[in-house]
Amino acid sequence: MKDSNSSTKDSHPPNGFARKGSSTSTEVFDNSCKVMLIGDSGSGKTCLLVRFKDGAFLSGSFISTVGIDFRNKVVDVDGTKVKLQIWDTAGQERFRSITKAYYRDANALLLLYDVTNKTSFDNIRAWLAEINEYAQEDVVIMLLGNKADMAAERVIRREEGEKLAKDHNVAFMETSAKTGMNVDLAFMAVARDLKMKKTRKPSDPSFNVAEYVTKEQQTSGCCGS
Amino acid sequence: MAETGEAEQSQLLDPDREELIENNAPGDSKNSMLIASDSFENIDIDCVEEFEIRKHKGGLIHEIVKQTSKEEQDEVAKENDDQISAKSDLSIGEDSSEDQGEVFETKDIAEALDESVNPGNGPIVPHITDEDVNSPEWRSQRKHIFIFSDSGKPVYSRYGNEDKLVTIFGVMQALVSFIQVSGDVIRSIIAGEHRFVFLIREHLILVGVSNGTDSTQQMLMQLTYLYNQVLSVLTFTSLQKIYKQRRNYDLRRQLSGAEKFLDSLLNMMETEPGFLLGAVRCLPLESTVRDMIAQSIVQHAKVKDLVFTLIIANSQLVTLVRMKKYYLHPMDLHILINLINAAESFKAAESWTPICLPKFDSSGFLQAHISYLDESCQTCLILLTVDRESFFTLSECKNRIQERLVKYNGLQAIGDSLRKNSYSIQDCKISDLRHFLYKSKSTAQYTSPELEAPYLTQPEQERLFGLYQFLHQRIHSLSRPLKILYHVGPYETLLGWVTQGFELYAVFGPLVTKTLAITAINKLLAWIKREENRLFIMNSVTF
Repeated sequence: MKDSNSSTKDSHPPNGFARKGSSTSTEVFDNSCKVMLIGDSGSGKTCLLVRFKDGAFLSGSFISTVGIDFRNKVVDVDGTKVKLQIWDTAGQERFRSITKAYYRDANALLLLYDVTNKTSFDNIRAWLAEINEYAQEDVVIMLLGNKADMAAERVIRREEGEKLAKDHNVAFMETSAKTGMNVDLAFMAVARDLKMKKTRKPSDPSFNVAEYVTKEQQTSGCCGS
Repeated sequence: MAETGEAEQSQLLDPDREELIENNAPGDSKNSMLIASDSFENIDIDCVEEFEIRKHKGGLIHEIVKQTSKEEQDEVAKENDDQISAKSDLSIGEDSSEDQGEVFETKDIAEALDESVNPGNGPIVPHITDEDVNSPEWRSQRKHIFIFSDSGKPVYSRYGNEDKLVTIFGVMQALVSFIQVSGDVIRSIIAGEHRFVFLIREHLILVGVSNGTDSTQQMLMQLTYLYNQVLSVLTFTSLQKIYKQRRNYDLRRQLSGAEKFLDSLLNMMETEPGFLLGAVRCLPLESTVRDMIAQSIVQHAKVKDLVFTLIIANSQLVTLVRMKKYYLHPMDLHILINLINAAESFKAAESWTPICLPKFDSSGFLQAHISYLDESCQTCLILLTVDRESFFTLSECKNRIQERLVKYNGLQAIGDSLRKNSYSIQDCKISDLRHFLYKSKSTAQYTSPELEAPYLTQPEQERLFGLYQFLHQRIHSLSRPLKILYHVGPYETLLGWVTQGFELYAVFGPLVTKTLAITAINKLLAWIKREENRLFIMNSVTF
């Protein structure tokens, strides 16, 4: 799909322009990158994305995603426009076999769990196993503990998330789609990583997302590092 | 019927004497894009008698895929395999309800059900105190629906929590297997006001319990719809695989998030006559406008492997373009309409989702690209393909179709028609005619005017729907089917008429005479004939 997609883009004029349909549409971009949001149902994937894309928080009733939703956003990384093609997947079990078929096309995977839901955290290992099996070798993986604002309901400590991420050698952050904490950073880190991969000369040091996010992130409350 | 005590005066009319003119059916077309259907045609009664034997002719999806590329075929098959064997297994407590060997002496089924859930007499479950079954609210629901596996494992209950209803599921499973042991099949039980209807499919048993106006046939049809809805999220193939691997599987794991589709389907079936008729309603549009919309699709969505493209606005079909050779069944179209009605998430972004259309091919998924074309999210475009990799191609198609429709005011026309709310019964200029349903059989489409006084309140609308159910059921009665039924009720006079080409159900004021009603019907048919190009999609457009 990656190939067919990039060829579609190239073969249709005007080059380098996203067509209308979404709000960010007519912007020019230099690079494009596929990001997938995955994780258990109810972990807040759609909310995280809506916070990033529209700056809003979807409160009220839970609208579960059916299949995969697709959104574009063009972001600016040090003067370079990067188009993020974001696939927001349904977390329900029956969709997993379908969504995993798209892993291999992804440049980055944002893997979410809900800090107030132990099962969603326990399932992270299964998700990671699946990622290892189906995704590209050089895919950027970021583990996100979402709903970090819900201090009272929290059941997964930040350290547990950190440890899991370290064990699997992936970047980690806690986020809150409600307050917006670290949401932009998660997507921007991905965009930056992609841009670095595309523009890096062999002699340059490689970009490390995990280090980058550790340096840049905010932490919730007093328990952070 | 509610008003059973009334002086019923139904009788057969002799068409010749009463001079009902059976001219050609308005809205008739030799060139339909939907599969023509009779009412109840969908229910294969034999299936109820035995476990269903499916004859998959290899599956249409594979056929289409094969036509275009051979290699892909293997991949699809492989993916299907993956789907089931898929990993992760945190299986939840199996086997609570194997072996429901007990035999119930069922003098009164309702009583039997009561007993079994009463903590005193009933088996086990001491920790659950607030049984839903005992709540008056639960008991007073007009229609209950239960789905469970053939080993008695709960899959879905319309009201209440399945886990708390586990004993009632057990009882129903016991009833089914008790009758099965004697080489027979349970179909329905009537107990007082309640009707219990059973639909037994391979692996799944569906039970409807109603004290409303639905006939057994009508409930069987509703259960068939629900079964198809389950298949549409899982496919028959994977359902079979799941239960083959683990007979005791808790199917709710696979259906989680899909309960809302079952709920909304049930709600739709209670108000939307299309399900009763096995037909869909088209959005009234000038035929030139509709042609333009269809042509926009043909020209801008000419993509290999695209099987169907539809535009649906407010549950009404605007247009349907299909791959040559392949037709859509109205039942599948209802499943699609239900999908977009029930899922709010499609309004937020372009979506890409697998869906199985059981009448088309229950063995596999089609991929649907779903998006709304207008800001107010009323006009929905659905592109159905067999190619899982074509999201971006279809996304381009969507943009081009949208541009065309904006440019040539297609979206405007759709919006205008939606705002006008179909048409008023006054437009037909027939006095004393209050409402009607007209179905053109060959095109599987129906038309009906807006609901007006006295059918403005919900109870009145429900009563009207009940009248249609009654009329429909009498005409399609299996033991004594009728061609024409004239029925005088306390509040209205009903006339139902079924010919080769159409089905017509009309509701008049109570004082109308038979002669007047017949004249009115003839006038109505002439009116529909004049309007047919606007009310129906008369031609079928292919890629």
